[in-house]
Amino acid sequence: MAEGMITRFGRMLRDKELSCTELTEKYLTQIEQANGDLNAYVKVTPEEALKTAKAVDEKIAKGEELSALEGIPMTLKDNISTKGIETTCCSKILEGYKPIYNATVWETLRNSNAVLLGKTNMDEFAMGSSSETSYFGGSANPHDITRVAGGSSGGVASAVGGNIAVYGLGSDTGGSIRQPASFCGIVGLKPTYGAVSRFGLIAYASSFDQIGPITTTVEDAAIVYDAISGYDKMDSTSRGRVGDPTVNSLKNDIKGMKIGIADEYLDGVNDDVRALIEKACAVYESLGAQIVRFKLPSLKYALPVYYILACAEASSNLGRYDGIRYGYRTSSYNDINEMVCKTRSEGFGAEVQRRILLGTYVLSAGYYDAYYKKAQNLRGSIVNAFKAAFESCDVILAPTVPMTAFKKGSAVSDPIQTYLTDICTVPVNIAGLPGVSIPCGFDKDNMPVGMQLIGNTFCESTILNAAWQYENAAGADVFRQSAYGVKL
Amino acid sequence: MVTREDVINIARLSKLYIAEEDLDEMTKAMADIVKFADTINNASEDGVEFDNINNLSNAFREDEVVPSYDRDEILSNANDTDEGHFLVRKRV
Repeated sequence: MAEGMITRFGRMLRDKELSCTELTEKYLTQIEQANGDLNAYVKVTPEEALKTAKAVDEKIAKGEELSALEGIPMTLKDNISTKGIETTCCSKILEGYKPIYNATVWETLRNSNAVLLGKTNMDEFAMGSSSETSYFGGSANPHDITRVAGGSSGGVASAVGGNIAVYGLGSDTGGSIRQPASFCGIVGLKPTYGAVSRFGLIAYASSFDQIGPITTTVEDAAIVYDAISGYDKMDSTSRGRVGDPTVNSLKNDIKGMKIGIADEYLDGVNDDVRALIEKACAVYESLGAQIVRFKLPSLKYALPVYYILACAEASSNLGRYDGIRYGYRTSSYNDINEMVCKTRSEGFGAEVQRRILLGTYVLSAGYYDAYYKKAQNLRGSIVNAFKAAFESCDVILAPTVPMTAFKKGSAVSDPIQTYLTDICTVPVNIAGLPGVSIPCGFDKDNMPVGMQLIGNTFCESTILNAAWQYENAAGADVFRQSAYGVKL
Repeated sequence: MVTREDVINIARLSKLYIAEEDLDEMTKAMADIVKFADTINNASEDGVEFDNINNLSNAFREDEVVPSYDRDEILSNANDTDEGHFLVRKRV
C-alpha cells in the first residue's frame, strides 16, 4: 500500500484512463448501493460533485496541470461548514442550517477542485465514541456491519473504509479521527493544535478541536495534511505548518530513530491489541529503530482532565444555540426564556445535554477550583510530562484504542464505560500534539486493530515518516479492503 | 454527592429543562460522572499554572474596515425575521 490512492487516481485522470466524471459517478453509484448498510453519509451532494468533475475534465481536455487533490472524490464530516450545503453536526438543533461561509479547510480544497461527494455522519456535536449519538443513527463498520464504525468521525471512517470516498476530513477533540480510523482499519491523522485552521469547524471544545484527514494510506494522509495545513488569520489560535511538506520525508530512513513505549498506555489494553503493538516494535527494530521504554505516570489523570475541560468548553460553546438566529426552534412557548429552554431540551440529544450539564457544574461557583482549575493545572503537568518524554525519544508508539470495534448499541447504555475507550487518544489532545493511527493487524474476530504514533508539536513529518516505513514493511498483513464500494 | 436539587439548579443555569420523570436517571448519571471526575483530586500538581495550549500571546494587527456578510444571507437561517432583524414573538 506504499502508493496512495490519491496519487494513483490522479495519475489515472492525467493519463485519461478514466474521466473525472466517470470516477465521480462510480463513487456516487457505490454510495447509493452501500449507504443503506453503512449509514456513512447523511447528505449526498451529486450536483456539486459532478459540477466540479466536469470542470476538472475540461482542464484535462485543455492539457492543463492538475494539483494533487484535483478531481479526487472526498467527503467532509458534518461539522465542517459548507456554504449553502446543510451542516447539522448530526443534531436536531441545527436542522436545516445552511452556513453562509465555507470552513477554511473546505475553501482551500474547493479551490483545488476537490470533488465533494457529501457530508458524513458523526456523534451529535462530536460527543461520542461510536457515532451512535447522531440524530440520524450510527454508522456501521465496513468490516462487520453489526459493529460500530467508531466516533465521533464515524461516518468519514465508514465511508473511507467502505471505499465510498477516497479520503475525508474529520475532527479530533479526544480521539475522534484516530479511534474510528483504527476501528475501520484505515489511517487517521490528528495534527498539532494550531496546524490546521479551525475556522468554520463547529466548535465542541475549542482548545482541543483539530481538523485532520482520514485516508486508506499514510501517503494520502500526508498529501491531504500538506494541503490543509497553514496559517489562517480567521483562526486566532492558528500557527500553520512548520517545515517542508510532509510527503518529502515519508521515505526517509528511520535507522536510529528512537521509538518510545510508555507502560501506562498498555494498562488495560486487550491481549490481541497488546500482542500486535509488541509485534510492531519488532518491525521497527528490524528497520533499525531503537525501542525506548519509559513511564508517563500522569497519564492516569488524562481521562478525567479531558472530560472536565472539554465539557466546560462545550457548555460555553453550545450556549449559542437558542433557536433565534438559526436551526431548530420549539413550536410553542410563552416567553423567551421558555422558548430557549424548550428549544435546547428538544433540540439536543441526551449525551450533549449530559456534557453541557457536567460542564456547567464544573464551572459553577463552589466547584470551579476543585474541578476546572485543578484540571487545567493537571493539563499543564501532562504537557510537561510529554515534553520530558520527547527528550529521550522521537516518537511514542501506543495503541489507538484498548479494544476493537464493539457491537452496535453497547456504547449507549453506559456513558462512563464509553468514556474509558478514549483512554489512549485523549492525552494527545490535552498536550496539543500530533498523532496518527495506522492499521497494525486484526484481532481474533478479524476486526482491524490500530496503533498510534505520537510526535512532538509540529513533528508531523516524523510521525508520518515512521508510519510510512511501518506500512511499507508490514504491507498486506495489516490492511484489508472491506467488501464495499469502488474497486479500481 | 450530586443531588436532584443540584441537577435542577445546573439545568436552570444551562437553560435546559429536565423532565420530572428523567430527573432520577440524570441525577444518577451526573453522580457517576462527577465521581469519575473526582479522581483528579488524588493527583499532585507540578505547581505549574497552565496558560494556553499553544503558548500564544496576543497577536496585534491594524484594525481595518472590511466588508462583512450580507444581512439577508445571515437572516436566511432564522425562523422568524422582520425588517432586517431576528424576531422572537412575545407569544404564540
